[in-house]
Amino acid sequence: MSKKKGFFLTRWLKRGVMGSDQEVQDIMKEEQVQTPFKTMLRNFLSKRTVRVGLVGFILIFLFVLIGPYYWVLDLSDQDSTLVNLPPSQNMMSIPSELKGKIADIAAGRTYGIAVDTDGHLHTWGYTKITEKIDIGNIPDEVQEADLVMFAAGDDHVVAMDENKQLYVWGNTRLQQGNFSSEMKKGMKDPDDPSWDIIQLEASNQFSAALSSDGTLYLWGNTNLADIKLRKQYQGNIAKVALTSNEYICLLKDGTVAYTGYKDKGSAFAAIPEELSGKTVVDIASTSSTVAAVTEDGQVVVWGNPKFGENRIPELSSPVKKLYGGRFHYVALLQNGDVISWGSNKYHQAAVPASIQHGADVREIYVGNFQNYAVLSDGNTVTWGLKGFVLGTDSLGRDMLNRIVNGGRVTMTVGAISVIIATIIGVLLGGLAGYFGGHADIIIMRIAEIVGGLPFIPFAMILSAVIGSRLDPTQRMYLIMVVLGVLSWTGTCRLVRAQILAQREMEYVTAAKAMGIRERTIVFRHILPNVISLLLVSMTLDFATCMLTESSLSYLGFGIPLPTPTWGNLLNGANNSIVIQQYWWQWVFPAAIFGVCTICINMIGDGLRDAVDPKSAER
Amino acid sequence: MGKYILKRCGYIVIVFLILSFLMYSLYNLIPTDPARQELEPMRQGLKADEYEVLYKQTRARMGLDDPLVVRYLRWMGLWKDMDGTFNGIVEGNFGYSNLYKRNVIEVIQAPMGNTIFINIFSTIAALGITIPLGIYCAVHKGKRFDSVTQVVTMLGYSIPVYIIALIFMFVFCVFWRIFPIMGQKTAGAVYANAWEEFVDMLYHICLPVIVMTFGSLGGMTRYVRSSMIDALSMDYIRTARAKGLKEKVVIYSHAWRNALLPVITSILGWFLGVFSGSVIIENTFSLNGMGKLYWAGLNNLDFELVLAIQMFYSVVSLVGSLLIDISYGLVDPRVRVDK
Repeated sequence: MSKKKGFFLTRWLKRGVMGSDQEVQDIMKEEQVQTPFKTMLRNFLSKRTVRVGLVGFILIFLFVLIGPYYWVLDLSDQDSTLVNLPPSQNMMSIPSELKGKIADIAAGRTYGIAVDTDGHLHTWGYTKITEKIDIGNIPDEVQEADLVMFAAGDDHVVAMDENKQLYVWGNTRLQQGNFSSEMKKGMKDPDDPSWDIIQLEASNQFSAALSSDGTLYLWGNTNLADIKLRKQYQGNIAKVALTSNEYICLLKDGTVAYTGYKDKGSAFAAIPEELSGKTVVDIASTSSTVAAVTEDGQVVVWGNPKFGENRIPELSSPVKKLYGGRFHYVALLQNGDVISWGSNKYHQAAVPASIQHGADVREIYVGNFQNYAVLSDGNTVTWGLKGFVLGTDSLGRDMLNRIVNGGRVTMTVGAISVIIATIIGVLLGGLAGYFGGHADIIIMRIAEIVGGLPFIPFAMILSAVIGSRLDPTQRMYLIMVVLGVLSWTGTCRLVRAQILAQREMEYVTAAKAMGIRERTIVFRHILPNVISLLLVSMTLDFATCMLTESSLSYLGFGIPLPTPTWGNLLNGANNSIVIQQYWWQWVFPAAIFGVCTICINMIGDGLRDAVDPKSAER
Repeated sequence: MGKYILKRCGYIVIVFLILSFLMYSLYNLIPTDPARQELEPMRQGLKADEYEVLYKQTRARMGLDDPLVVRYLRWMGLWKDMDGTFNGIVEGNFGYSNLYKRNVIEVIQAPMGNTIFINIFSTIAALGITIPLGIYCAVHKGKRFDSVTQVVTMLGYSIPVYIIALIFMFVFCVFWRIFPIMGQKTAGAVYANAWEEFVDMLYHICLPVIVMTFGSLGGMTRYVRSSMIDALSMDYIRTARAKGLKEKVVIYSHAWRNALLPVITSILGWFLGVFSGSVIIENTFSLNGMGKLYWAGLNNLDFELVLAIQMFYSVVSLVGSLLIDISYGLVDPRVRVDK
């Protein structure tokens, strides 16, 4: 026998769908007859549902194949300030009526608030803190007051009017609005020198106010934050910077001090040695780091940097002003350059080119992930997190990212399970069909039992019993194997039935007469003729396997969290709160998954009709 | 026929034994040690060697050192227990649920009733819809109604049942507020009589049954339709029409009876699918059924409970296959199942 060209699988495929060798094709060409392959392809593509399915599937497939390179999966990713955000892109859209009239901006968690030159308050972005509490519901007395100063925290806003009255709105359930008696006294007597507030700050459930004589007032949720002040510092404070649950102070003598009670327990208490002997002119903070600007314009960062907050880029000139976001810093340099470093996940540290060098920046306002630069001509430049196209989940993760990466996992699991199932099915089906007799009876009985098992309960127990000792990656492989091992029976039956029919054909008799081994006949002569039907069943099984995997994951027995799949994205969705209020958390994964399986089934149906013209009449 | 049924019953018993042995072995893969658990409270008061002796005694008393097959047979109730009696599944002892601190048999009674009720309900509903629908579509093949049904059924079997459940919940519980979103009875309700309680339960399982029915419509309708089309394309249909028989007779008497056979084959797989699917439905709607219990048992590593429920599922599937075989003979007199 001459040596055959090409890999055996491609050869089979070719023979399976073309069904003839070269010589016969030549004769057919003369007679102007289409090859079976072309007929099949034409039949296949002639149906509109197939074309729609094919395009849809290819789009989704490319999306989940290429998407993960752009939306990189970070399994440890979570952010309590971004939980349950609806799809939006308006977190930085300053209302148009504010154009050129901005007096002051306070950038909060996912919202912005600004007062214009006429003294009107404006809010934008996602202002809801909970279902009931909305920052956008500005109290009437605040609307009427002439505000001079305000600050936006994670869940509340603090404002002060020209009569030095303080207002707090938003979430006030955790003492965010409980003023101390000294503060109440100050509000009653506005001329008190210790109530000449020059700085207002708000953070995660607590706020700070600083008066010109160096008195610091702190109030809010004492359980969460270290908001006490050591007595020796009172009256000696020049500036305060709040992290998510601590704070540091710049003292009037130009040193930085951790003035809270945690002392050594806090990472901020260890003031870096670089600062000793130098005068600090400005301080800023992110959620877990603090930074100080020295007299010569250098920046020193300490604390718990997680996203490179301490990797300060080369500064082209001394720092004039420093601002802190949640995980990034923005610095305005003395030569007018704006520079930023730290986490750039939402492009919050990507300063637009237009203001990077020497633009006339009047003031910069930095929120958690949003940045607003107001230029001297009144225009604003914004950069940072606009919002999430598909919202976020209950841990503050981007749904789009989860869906893209989940799709990749789901499709991989589906594909590998189908391959496993097909290999088992073809092997056993081939054996049973060709050899018959006892082999046939035993194999078909096994197939009957396996096929008769209630699928989901059985897969659940396998996953629970074997999977309890495996790490998440191994567990993913386990699920693939379990799905494959439980779903081969259909393929087995199909292959057996086909082989029973093919066994009686002349070419098999011829092969036998030539003395070819039986194994070779089954797997090399008969199987290629079955492969087109196999392709159909694989396509349809692919959809089924994806469905089963997702059902298992939905029940919590499939791929374990935090690895996303289309099934376990919906895991937490079956409660009324999610269904009702956080609809984006289940509608989008459900939609893309539904569309994907529908497309695959359309392709499979079309393929079946094309391969088996008899079924097309149905 | 009788001989055949007997043969099938024997076969089922063998398969059940194999399956239960496999499940039991699987269950034994889990590293647990009941002897150590039992001795744990008195561990402090004992010296190490005393404890070791006691531990060995307890293991022997519990029969933990016996071979797997012996332990399996004891569990099944086919081998003498340590105290000399037969006490296993055959005798009605399904074990003890660690999670509910009661015998498994007591734990699963109510949920089993619920699950069977829900499943039978939705099976009847689904068959009642799919068969007429499939026949109608087959007879009116290619018409607009048929194409629409084809698309809808495609959606039905492509979308996983829990997504259908979520959508239905959204529409009927959140948007229209017709049905309660989950649970099996009104919280804190006091019923005047059993009838009221029953009605309340019916009201609560309405949506789950609708979802289950809807979820199983797709595949079955397509199946009925395609086998009906096959039957309608046969020569004997042309003959029947040529004879001038009424169309109704042709469809229901000539075509449908022949189309029924492949349909019956697929009903088993489908019925099992419904049972499997009820795990998802019960969890989604927080119904007190076997599926929910199974889920809770697996999550809390209560394996005696899980094993018992797994046995229940196996029995359902085996009995189902027996019923299908028997109905084959009943529906089609040509099939000589005895052969």
